[in-house]
Amino acid sequence: MLRKKSLFAVLAVLMALAIVLSGCAKGGATGPEINMNLNTEPPTADPSLATDTTSVQVDELLFLGLTDFDDQTLDVIPELATEWSVSADGLEWTFKMRDDAFWVRYNPENGKVEKLDKVTAHDVAYGVKRTIDPNTASDYAYVDYIIKNAYAVNTGESTDLDSVGVEAVDDFTVKFTLEQPAGYFPGIAGMWINRPQPREAIETFGEKWTEPGNIVTNGSYVMTEWAHESHMTMIKNPHHFDAKDVQIAKINWAMVVEESTAFAMYENGELDVANAPLADIDRIKADATLSSELYIAPDLCTYYYGFNNTKPPFDNKLVRQAFSAAIDRQKLIDTVLKGEQKVAKTFACPGIFGSPAEDPAFEGITFDPAKAKQLLADAGYPNGEGLPEITLMINTSEGHQKIAEFIQASWKENLGVEVQVANQEWAVYLKTVHEDSPQVYRMGWCADYPDENNWVAEVFHPIKGSNEPKWDPESDSAKRFMQLVEDAALSSDPEERARLYYEAEQILTVDEAVIAPIYYYTRVVLTKPYVNRTYAPLGGEHIDKWSVEGK
Amino acid sequence: MSRFIIRRLIWTIPVILFISIVTFLLVHAVPGGPFDTEKPRPAEIQANLMKHYGLDQPLWKQYTDYMGFTRNPSGDYAGILQWDFGPSITQRSRTVNEIFAAHLPVSATLGVAALLIAVGVGVPLGIIASLKQNSAWDYLSMALAIVGVSVPSIVIGPILILVFALTLGWLPVAGWGSFKHILMPSLALGLSSSAIIARLTRASMLQVIREDYIRTARAKGLSEKVVIVRHALKNAFIPVATVLGPMFAALVTGTFVIEQIFAIPGLGKYFISSITNRDYSVVMGTTLLYALFLVASNLFVDVTYAFLDPRIQFE
Amino acid sequence: MTKQESAARALASGRADAQGLNSENQQKVTNLWQDAIYRLTRNRAAVLGLILIVLLVLMSAFAHVVAPMHFTAGDAALNNAVPLWLTKVMPGHMETYTQISDIYPLGADYLGRDLLSRVIYGTRVSLPVGFVGALTALLIGLIYGSVSGYYGGKVDNIMMRIVDIMYAFPTMLLIILMMAFFKSSFSGAATPGTLAYEFNRINKVVDSLLGLQSGGMLFIFIGIGLTAWMGIARLARGQILSLKEKEFILASHMIGARDGRIIWRHILPNIIGPILVSVTLAIPGYISTEVFLSFIGLGVDPPAPSWGAMISDGAKALRSYPHQVLLPALFLAVTMFAFNFLGDGLRDALDPRMRGTK
Repeated sequence: MLRKKSLFAVLAVLMALAIVLSGCAKGGATGPEINMNLNTEPPTADPSLATDTTSVQVDELLFLGLTDFDDQTLDVIPELATEWSVSADGLEWTFKMRDDAFWVRYNPENGKVEKLDKVTAHDVAYGVKRTIDPNTASDYAYVDYIIKNAYAVNTGESTDLDSVGVEAVDDFTVKFTLEQPAGYFPGIAGMWINRPQPREAIETFGEKWTEPGNIVTNGSYVMTEWAHESHMTMIKNPHHFDAKDVQIAKINWAMVVEESTAFAMYENGELDVANAPLADIDRIKADATLSSELYIAPDLCTYYYGFNNTKPPFDNKLVRQAFSAAIDRQKLIDTVLKGEQKVAKTFACPGIFGSPAEDPAFEGITFDPAKAKQLLADAGYPNGEGLPEITLMINTSEGHQKIAEFIQASWKENLGVEVQVANQEWAVYLKTVHEDSPQVYRMGWCADYPDENNWVAEVFHPIKGSNEPKWDPESDSAKRFMQLVEDAALSSDPEERARLYYEAEQILTVDEAVIAPIYYYTRVVLTKPYVNRTYAPLGGEHIDKWSVEGK
Repeated sequence: MSRFIIRRLIWTIPVILFISIVTFLLVHAVPGGPFDTEKPRPAEIQANLMKHYGLDQPLWKQYTDYMGFTRNPSGDYAGILQWDFGPSITQRSRTVNEIFAAHLPVSATLGVAALLIAVGVGVPLGIIASLKQNSAWDYLSMALAIVGVSVPSIVIGPILILVFALTLGWLPVAGWGSFKHILMPSLALGLSSSAIIARLTRASMLQVIREDYIRTARAKGLSEKVVIVRHALKNAFIPVATVLGPMFAALVTGTFVIEQIFAIPGLGKYFISSITNRDYSVVMGTTLLYALFLVASNLFVDVTYAFLDPRIQFE
Repeated sequence: MTKQESAARALASGRADAQGLNSENQQKVTNLWQDAIYRLTRNRAAVLGLILIVLLVLMSAFAHVVAPMHFTAGDAALNNAVPLWLTKVMPGHMETYTQISDIYPLGADYLGRDLLSRVIYGTRVSLPVGFVGALTALLIGLIYGSVSGYYGGKVDNIMMRIVDIMYAFPTMLLIILMMAFFKSSFSGAATPGTLAYEFNRINKVVDSLLGLQSGGMLFIFIGIGLTAWMGIARLARGQILSLKEKEFILASHMIGARDGRIIWRHILPNIIGPILVSVTLAIPGYISTEVFLSFIGLGVDPPAPSWGAMISDGAKALRSYPHQVLLPALFLAVTMFAFNFLGDGLRDALDPRMRGTK
């Protein structure tokens, strides 16, 4: 008996501890609250280090950028910058900044949000340089390679961080110098990696600067609590210049990984927004209440299968074309994905500047079993005879596996080819794909900024990109492709750029069939009726523009 | 007794050493590293990162650095000899010690609750079954026990959510922070363990009640209740206590499936995620922590034997 | 010497006494076994367990005959289809959101493949996992434990300390690490001549022997087998330790029998009972390990049908298609029941103390 009593005592102490640990720090803000899911623990809140949607969502609310994207039109709109201009040669971009943005810090002791210094051009320059500094080891630094000397400094060719083409002309004017003209630069200037950062806090707290109490931010919300792997709390920033327009006073972020659990929480009223799990979509669509809360928003991402262009039989473009043409993408969407995804015929999805995805003239490779069979026969493998063993590699995930199983069956049915599906977990998978990509491998790409340069050039340039398909840079097609994307990046004429990208996409997805685009993503989301919201196709959700009524 | 305890504690050292070496070699043998990312980093950045975490050192040096026998020139951690488990490589703002501090209490709370359920349900079931051997009660409780082990927690978890949260509305679906949050996960965890305990209790009770001293006790005219509770149960509990040790270690350090399903910020997920992320220091830390718990709880169990059965003495 | 061991020894010696007594007379040994078999057949639960296991093994061997379809056959257009009768017995209103089709006796999965057929073929994953786990545990554990117990002294001390250390490992972690290692090093390896390639090739042979297109079964076998032997080793060693001082063993020594012969002829027959019980009762554990591995994505490769994969997929669809998890879970539970019943029955039948109890 004694034994049990003491166990109870231990339990009571531990429970009290756990509750104290997790339940303290209730922000002082009053007003409507919203319960959201971050889907996972954010790997970081550091803008220089964020690479994933969760971290970017957190940074979107905590840090302001020079610019932002309009949720509807995807146009670049002012945020910290009020106006910007470019020099005649297209190399120097000057951003004028507003002078009423402040750094703030949440004080856990008294629960107050303390107002600190103004956000200046120096903070922007510091943030950009910190991202490019190789010691920061930012995974997204490559996006900034368009900035003068960024490449040299980031790769260690040069150690002079001050030579990077960003400078504060005065307290509220910042000037970027580029390596080459880039019409899409204002979009990059507002990306999370280029946001102003609080030098003092970073230098004081080192890697711990993103913990509540240490973190200094300037966005529409302030982080008051970050219970790792459990939840995060944000309250409205009272010192934000648009504070009067921010409706929701407090955001309670859960970190529920399991989608079915998150959806059950939504149904039970514990979350106000949730993704629709694949297994439940049909039921949701048939349910009167749930279907009215369902919204399918386009997402700027493409799902594709890459081919290793050097491994037989995929060293033959006819085989690649055959395999691409044998995928019944619409059926995949209708029967397996069910989220009203769109059949992909290009690499870059609709909404990306320069993408021919919505150009009816661009046919792409469509599902055509007869033609696929013919192509395979032309390649010397009638009915798949004589083909070597083929492995399709995916990273371990339920969703990818379902798609792979469908396509595996699809190839068997339409080409008569048996393909092995192998999976590896993410860390190994990435290494495999980078170093020695399998014959067929799965990948996805999401826009960092809405321009084709971020797609065809940054991903598939056989020399500057990581060249996962092992596309021979010496081949005529690759040379032509490189010429096209390089010319397009330099050009400032939208029509000419679109024309160049059209041809590049044609080479990539049709003529050479280096990859087989499969579908353009959508986000299948449910939102409670009392939430008025927007949908951000790029970056994080703008919860500062949402409201909650009559909850 | 104290000599026995001291000897066992000293024995812990080679155990921990061996486990640390094997885990270290295994985790480094798995291809892929903590810094493999979607966009391959420039070689210089990769090299900088490796250097920062001391991963540029030869493997044996990395090991001795980690253990704290030697000092890593670039790392600022002392090694586990000084109870410093090093920085987490993938969660750059946290150290392994901080991860333990944040998540171990959660897992421990849940684990202890589950253990209470396991013992509270398992022992009575086992006793009933053994006292009424081959009766309907026996079959019923053993059938219940076998159901407990046969249905995986992957299934029990969602069913509990469906019943208690979505249908009855008594409990929140998932999360952590209040007493209500503990109930379903600890039930899901405890049920399968209670099944194991019930069967063990039954088996060892069956053996014990045939012993001479029980016959003697009955012959003395003691009431059946006293015989069972005072004399039989105490001895029958010995094999049960033996499994409670490892069970405690496993439950308290967290269980991945239940934590995943009920969105509990416990330590269990780190056992898995650290491996998939190649977060070497976290893999080492969680393994060693588990081993320490196991050794400690086995020692505790051995010591309690002496209380359960006065005949038992330590050499 | 810890209490744990002396307790185990006390327990073991009690059992061995009875057996040792019997061993003095060959006639009685057969009697003991006959007696055990007799008592086993009188135990209805154990007989049921045995019948179920035989049925499952037959089902697995003749899956291509028993199953209505091949496990890859199906039409994605009929994903999640259910027969009409199922909508009437299952909670919820499946008929409002999914297709009704009587092609599938128990419904289809997310790719329109027959659930029943996949569950039936799933025995080719789960049963081998259970049996191979048991076999490896038995082989390694028995040899290791016998050697350690028979030679005793320093050898025993060292060998048992190694087992102690292995015991302190988080088993799951070890399996996961090994699975991660095997899967990432070997699966899909295509360069002939390398070790990885050979492993991959053997794995393919194993998969095709089981009639699965793919699966990576070899890696699961290794992962489970390498972690499963410790308990058996301990048990075998404890039994032998108490047996080897018995008169009939000493007598064998005296007449000059070799160690191998003594172990094989005299010791093994006397200790096999409790070990068999322990192995039988461990099989459900190996089978559920596969379920766990599937849940964390380290299970068999598609399209091989495993109960683990079906259960972890199905559990996520519990709200919409409860039957998708119930069917494999039911098969799993029945299998676990069967092994548990048989194991319990074996124990009762082989334990001399239970003699006379019915």
